Amino acid sequence: MKKVILPLLVALATCALSTQSFAETLKIGVQAPITGSYANEGQGIDNSVKLLAEQINAKGGVMGRQIEVFSCDDEGTAMKAAICAKDLVNKGVSMVIGSYTSTCAEAAQKTYFKAGVLQTSDGTADSLTEKGYWTFLRNSFPNSAEADYVADYMIGTKKYQRIVVISDFSSYATGLAEATVSAIKKAGGNVIAYEKVKADSQNFTPILTQIKSKKPDAIFFAGYYTDGGQLRAQQVALGIKADFIAGDANDNPDFAKLAGSAAQGAYIVNVPTPGMLPYDVAKDFLKSYETKFGMLPPSIWTLMNADGMRAIIHAMEQNKSFDTKKAVEYLQAMEPMPGITGPIAFAKDGNRIGSSYMTFEIQADDSYRVAHKQ
Amino acid sequence: MDTFFQQLINGLTIGSIYALVALGYTMVYGVMRLINFAHGDMVAASAFVGLTIYTQVMGQSATLFSVIMIFLLAAVSMACVGVILERVAYRPLREAPRLSAVVSALGASLVIQNGIMLLWGPQMRIFPELVPQVYWEIGGVVVSLIQVIILILSLVLMVALYFFVEKTRMGAAIRASSIDQDAARLMGINVNTIIATIFIIGSSLGAIGGLFIGLYYRGITFNMGWQYGLFAFVAAILGGIGNIPGAMLGGMLLGLFNAFIAGYVSSTWSDAFTFILLIIILIVRPTGILGERVAEKV
Repeated sequence: MKKVILPLLVALATCALSTQSFAETLKIGVQAPITGSYANEGQGIDNSVKLLAEQINAKGGVMGRQIEVFSCDDEGTAMKAAICAKDLVNKGVSMVIGSYTSTCAEAAQKTYFKAGVLQTSDGTADSLTEKGYWTFLRNSFPNSAEADYVADYMIGTKKYQRIVVISDFSSYATGLAEATVSAIKKAGGNVIAYEKVKADSQNFTPILTQIKSKKPDAIFFAGYYTDGGQLRAQQVALGIKADFIAGDANDNPDFAKLAGSAAQGAYIVNVPTPGMLPYDVAKDFLKSYETKFGMLPPSIWTLMNADGMRAIIHAMEQNKSFDTKKAVEYLQAMEPMPGITGPIAFAKDGNRIGSSYMTFEIQADDSYRVAHKQ
Repeated sequence: MDTFFQQLINGLTIGSIYALVALGYTMVYGVMRLINFAHGDMVAASAFVGLTIYTQVMGQSATLFSVIMIFLLAAVSMACVGVILERVAYRPLREAPRLSAVVSALGASLVIQNGIMLLWGPQMRIFPELVPQVYWEIGGVVVSLIQVIILILSLVLMVALYFFVEKTRMGAAIRASSIDQDAARLMGINVNTIIATIFIIGSSLGAIGGLFIGLYYRGITFNMGWQYGLFAFVAAILGGIGNIPGAMLGGMLLGLFNAFIAGYVSSTWSDAFTFILLIIILIVRPTGILGERVAEKV
C-alpha cells in the first residue's frame, strides 16, 4: 500500500505546484535606476514596490490574484529606459511603477501608452503630462506647482522686491526656473535677473559678484544641491545679504555640508521629508519598510511611487476589474484617498491634484525647521 | 568700481590655483617635451588624499598644525606618486616615438581617475571647513582668509621655485637638461635624477593646488582633475609651455580673463572665450606670451 501512496502524493504535489504557477497573477513592473548615480532612489522604489506586493499578497492579493513583481534597471539613462519599457510590456505587466527621473519616464511613456500599460512616475517635468497619454499618472507634483508655491511664498509671504533666479542648463532646472520666473511676474513680483550657471563648474564668484552689484534681496536657485551648496557658500563669502531659496533638488544633506557655516539661514523648498509625514498610513509603511530593509526610504520620491501603485490597485479593486482604462477613469473621478504622502487624487491629464510644498530653514546644526507651509 | 576689484580678487584666487597646476605641465614639458596628461588627475587625487589624511591621520582636528601637516603629507605622497608614474609610465618610453608617450600619459590619466573612483567612490566628497570663514570688507570689496592664504602661499611657492631654478646648481642642471639632454649628460648631469626632481616639484605643487581647490570650493569629485587640468594646460600654453614664469603669468591671466568674461560678458560663454583667447594668442605668438623659440631637435 505504501508503495502506491508515495508516488500518488508526489503526483498530487506536482499537480498542486503546477496549478499554483499557472494561476493568474497581477503582474507589476518596476522601472527604476537600480544602479548608477541615482541607485539609492531606484532601489528605494524597487524595495517599496516589493514591500507593498508582499503586504497585499499576505492579505490574499488583489481580488484573489497574487502580485508578481518584475524589476528592470534603467540606470537613469533614456536608452535603457526604452529597452526596459519594451521588456516589461513583453512580460505582460499591467502597470509599471517608476522611473525616478523625468527623462527615463518620458523615454518609456510611448511604449506603455501603445500597450495600454499604466505608468506612474514621480518625474516632475511638466512635459510628462502634456502629451495626452492616458496611461500616465504622475504621483508627485509637477514643476509648475512648485513654481507657483515659490512665487506665492516669495511675493505673498516674504514680499521680496528684487529677486534673482539662477538655474543650470538641465531640463529640470531650466523648466523650474522658467516656470518660477513667469509665476513671480504673474504675482506682480520683480525679477531683476535670470542667470544660468554651468553645473559642477565650482567657481560661481564671477556671476555672484555681478549679481551683488544689482543689490537683490532674494536669490532663487533651481538647480541641484551640488551646485546649490557652493553657490550659498560663495554668496555669503561675497557678503551678498540676500535670502537664499533653493528648489527641491537641493533637499540633500550634502547641501548643508558644502555650504558649511554659510548653510544656516538658507531656505529649501520641497514636499515634506518621509519622517515628517503626519499620516498613519505613512507611519505604518515607514515602520514595515525599516523592519524589512533595515533603513528608512531614501527620500519622499520612493513613497510617492508607492502611493501611485496603491492608487492604481485601489482603483482596480473598486472597479472589480483589472482593466487599465477603467482604472484610470476611476482615478480621475474619485474622491481623494488617503495616501502615504497625503491625499491622492488625479486630474484629467494624469497630474496629481494638490501640492504639499513647504519651506525649510536650515538651522545652525544643519537640521530643518519648517518656515512656511502651504 | 567695487565690482571690478571684486572680480580682480576672484580672478587672482582661481588664477593662482591654475598657475600652480600649470607649473607641473610646463616643467615636465620643458625637460621631456611631453604633455603629462595625468597631472590634472594627480591634482584631484591630492584633494582626496588630503581629505583622508584629515580624517584618518589627523583625527579630524582642525588646528593650524593639522592643516600644515595635511599640506606636507599630501605633497609628499603626491611627489611619490609622481616619481612612480614617471618610472612606470614614461621612462620606458623615453626613446619611443612621442605619440607612444602621449598615449601612455592618457592611459595614466585614466588609471588615476578610475583609481580615485574605486578608492573613494563616485559621489562628491566634501571637505570640512578647515580654514575659518573670516572676511574683510574694504570699500565694498570682500576678501576672505582662504583667498589671502591661497594668494600668498602660491606667490611664495612660485618665487621660491623661480629662485631654485635660476640660482641653484640643481636649477642650472634642470635648465641644462631642458636645452639638450645629451649635452647635459656629457657634462656629468644625471638626467634621470633631474627628471625625477621635476616630477617631485611638479606633483607637489599640483598637490597644493588640489588642496586649495578642496579648501576653497569644498566639494571634490573624482573626475574634477580633467577640468582643472585642461585650464592649467591652457594657462601653460598661454604663457609659453616650457617656460616657468610663463606658466605663472598664464595662470593668473587665465583666471582674470575668466572672471571678467564671466562677470561682464556671460558666465555661460566664459569657457568659449577662454579658448578663443588661446587661439588668438597661438596665432599672434605661437610660442605663447613668454615662450622662447624652441629649436626642434634633429
